[in-house]
Amino acid sequence: MSYLRRVFLIVLLAAPALRAQRMLIPMDDGQTNHLKAYGLTYNAMKTGVQAEWLLNYRGGSFLLPDAPELRRRASLDGISFEAITDAQLSAIRREMASGNMEAVPLEKAPRIAVYTPAEAQPWDDAVTLALKYAGIDFTPIYDEQVEQGDLTKYDWLHLHHEDFTGQFNKFQLGYRDAPWFRDMVAKNAASAKKLGYASVPGLKKDVAERIRLFVERGGFLFAMCGATETLELAIAGHDVDIAGEFADGSPMDPDADTRMNWKRALAFKDAHLEHSPFVNSMSDIDGHQVNVPGRRQPLGTFTLFNFSSKFDPVPSMLVQNHRSVLNDYYGVTTSFTKATLKPGDIVLATEEGAPWVKYIHGDYGKGTWTYLGGHDPEDPQHAIGNPPTDLSLHKGSPGYRLILNNVLFPAAKKKPLKT
Amino acid sequence: MSVERFSTTSRASTVLRNRSGTAARRYAATWALVLLAGVSVRALGQEEKPEVARALELESAGKYREAVAAFKIAMKVAPGATALLGLERVSAELGQTDSLVAPLDTLIAAHPRESIYRTVQLRTYQILRRDDKLRESFEKWARAMPRDPSPYREYARILILQGRPATADSVIMRGKSALGSLRDLEYENAQLRAAMGEWIPSALSWRRALSDAPHLATAASFALARAPASARDGIRDALASLPAEPGPRRALADLELNWGQSQDAWDALRSLKPDTAAATMWEEFAERAYAEERWTIARDAYTAAYRVHPSVPLATRAASASLRAGSPEAVFVLVPLGGGEKDSSRSAREIMPLHVAALVALGRASDADALIARYDKFLVPVVRMRVAQMVATAWVRSGDLVRARQALATAGPEADSSEAAGWLALYDGRIGSARMLLRTARTPTPDLALAMGIIVRVKSDSAPQLGAAFLALARGDTVGASARFVEASAHHADVAPALLLIAARLRAARGDDAVPIWTRIMAEHPTSPEAVESELEWARLLRKRGDVAGATEHLEHLILNAPQSALLPQARRELELARGAIPPS
Repeated sequence: MSYLRRVFLIVLLAAPALRAQRMLIPMDDGQTNHLKAYGLTYNAMKTGVQAEWLLNYRGGSFLLPDAPELRRRASLDGISFEAITDAQLSAIRREMASGNMEAVPLEKAPRIAVYTPAEAQPWDDAVTLALKYAGIDFTPIYDEQVEQGDLTKYDWLHLHHEDFTGQFNKFQLGYRDAPWFRDMVAKNAASAKKLGYASVPGLKKDVAERIRLFVERGGFLFAMCGATETLELAIAGHDVDIAGEFADGSPMDPDADTRMNWKRALAFKDAHLEHSPFVNSMSDIDGHQVNVPGRRQPLGTFTLFNFSSKFDPVPSMLVQNHRSVLNDYYGVTTSFTKATLKPGDIVLATEEGAPWVKYIHGDYGKGTWTYLGGHDPEDPQHAIGNPPTDLSLHKGSPGYRLILNNVLFPAAKKKPLKT
Repeated sequence: MSVERFSTTSRASTVLRNRSGTAARRYAATWALVLLAGVSVRALGQEEKPEVARALELESAGKYREAVAAFKIAMKVAPGATALLGLERVSAELGQTDSLVAPLDTLIAAHPRESIYRTVQLRTYQILRRDDKLRESFEKWARAMPRDPSPYREYARILILQGRPATADSVIMRGKSALGSLRDLEYENAQLRAAMGEWIPSALSWRRALSDAPHLATAASFALARAPASARDGIRDALASLPAEPGPRRALADLELNWGQSQDAWDALRSLKPDTAAATMWEEFAERAYAEERWTIARDAYTAAYRVHPSVPLATRAASASLRAGSPEAVFVLVPLGGGEKDSSRSAREIMPLHVAALVALGRASDADALIARYDKFLVPVVRMRVAQMVATAWVRSGDLVRARQALATAGPEADSSEAAGWLALYDGRIGSARMLLRTARTPTPDLALAMGIIVRVKSDSAPQLGAAFLALARGDTVGASARFVEASAHHADVAPALLLIAARLRAARGDDAVPIWTRIMAEHPTSPEAVESELEWARLLRKRGDVAGATEHLEHLILNAPQSALLPQARRELELARGAIPPS
């Protein structure tokens, strides 16, 4: 073999290694559409593609095969990507090995359910807004489906502003005669009756119990806004009348506080219920008390904790972001007071110096729960009647990234902890 | 589901907490200056003691260290508000607010009923963040003057600023109990209720406060502007309640403007009793509406003001607004020639052009010509040119280029180099002349931008087909213009896609089918920017018709094949809308 032919053969053999093998989806400030990047990764997994989540590498980047269809989707959605060779990937892995970074394989797209009335618009809820925008499919389920046992069909369940105490977030104080409120009360009452419950609080407590069992048996629960606090109250108050007279016809048990069984709850303990039907608050779990004049606390900023991605991959996944300090935003439940957290709770984000935290996570039975306070990360003062958030104007929203981290983390393959 | 509205106070408190030392000093100085404005009324009648005058001079010269010493001396020689406020200002500048504590204690001991000293004391403790002393000073003040609203008022204001609405609430309630009513605390109560998101009680309180203090209207509208849509009708009811008074109505008008309801804003003001105060308010409102190009409202507001205070300037502004609002006939009533203005040259300069514009708008070009001739001897060249151009435009619209040229000729030789001459050159197809003359046009208009966008790209100096197309457009014959632009595209390959796109836009604007032209542009000029725009417009049309699949196909094709196009963000947004990924806009 002549010299030239040998050189040609070497080049030919080396060529695949020099060609782009993977698509790196950076998630730092170089990304032009962070939110759609989650959708690209999720949908790639859905088609059987193996992805990797490069925790703490360039804002929590994703690694996908360099396939024409994925390139096409990325171009259509305006997602930045970099084609990298095996050699470049090796360099990235070396860099990751030397710091607080870890590659987590993402294997199977979780089956997603969102607890929301069928007639609700996706724009009513930050998670459905984010899922819609990112192009991630989900199934809306509500009381009837939960009561039928449909939760077993899903891996991941999201709850938003539902009041599981059955008191409609006490909105009767300000919206008693508003058509939307009357309609909501009527529909829920009819549903309770149809499903064999004497009142809406009775139905919601049972739904809360089924959600608790869903988590205990291995489900992933993500809740925001008022659903966090009221789910816990409904679970801990399973055998106590914690609803006001306007909701179930009987006043709240005056000894409700002492009769709450916090051992059953997922995240909170020893909270005190708000007994007055005229005070728009459920308990002292929420630190901001947004709807109670005189108690309301101002918004600040919250800071995401930096976990060890090698030793704590789950909390690390949940806080992947290109920002570590985020502006706070109100919700029916905005934050969680430290005094009511169970000792095993993992705090993911907190406001420095404040007696509350923003973002928490924990295990329960075989499953996990994650709670994020507030209603809409890009609408800090959200009020009823406000226009919906247009996420095409917030493509790099750090707050919405927290939501989408939760969607992807159930897809991560569990690795044995390094010791 | 969502949460209620929140206060501005919370933000204010955060700001206050984070306020740097320098900012805090500036803040205190501002407060002091505001108060000084009130105090100086008293001080005006008195001649300043030399010590005070010297201290003020040093302060004016920016010599704050010397001024502090001078004010302290003045406090000993001539203790009073001027010296105290001066000392407060310069101490704040130097970050030495704590040095005020002792002099204030002395002054208050000597004059326990002097409100200004007490107010400065509260402010001092606020800046020093001595909440315990702040509260104590308030309590002493309230005890010393149990029937005076000032302690409650001042302390409540500070608490609101600090973001402590609950405490402010309790102070106001105490004040109400001590004074027998909220009457003297309405302003603070209104601010507090707004801060707490209690919009209707706040509006009711503002309504009462504004009756006595209409100058607070801006503060009221600022406080209530953040109210959610659900609370706005209640606020409207409160502020619009009878009798119609200037303060509340002014606040409501400002709010309506803030909420984007300009007609409602005018409705809030128009029912005021027509007097001098109302006329002034109407004129101010009209000026704002005029500046914002809300012509109908400006017309009505100017006309209302004019009825109270008839004057030529007001009538002229009203006529000008009427003209722009599409009511040219109102010009003849508001500013009749030979009416209020007796000076013919002034009439020719200010009123006659309005009449010409009105006649042109009504299509009465001959009458406009006659009017110009009648005033010819009074016309200065600039005005002559302006009116000649108006009339020439009217003739062009009616299709008579000969009369248009004649009208322009009356303006003299300068008309040959005017913008109007440029348009006539364009309509004649003399592109070289048009290019030169229109380039000097002073007022950029959409028509001019369209014409210049084409003629600077046409390589030849003669283009009769193109001129005919623009002439048809000027005449308002959009169907004919569209056909002529298509025809012209065959003669000008260099701008063919642009001409076709204009033709397509004209068709689409009429609701006619522009798809054949878009298709042609995409097929014949696939790499042109116009092909991208055509595809985008086509996709938009398909989405509007409910053909999501068709729209998506075009948008995806566009995004993938024209990644560098400036229209890419719009295409992506359309794609999001087609997919239902974002809320319908």
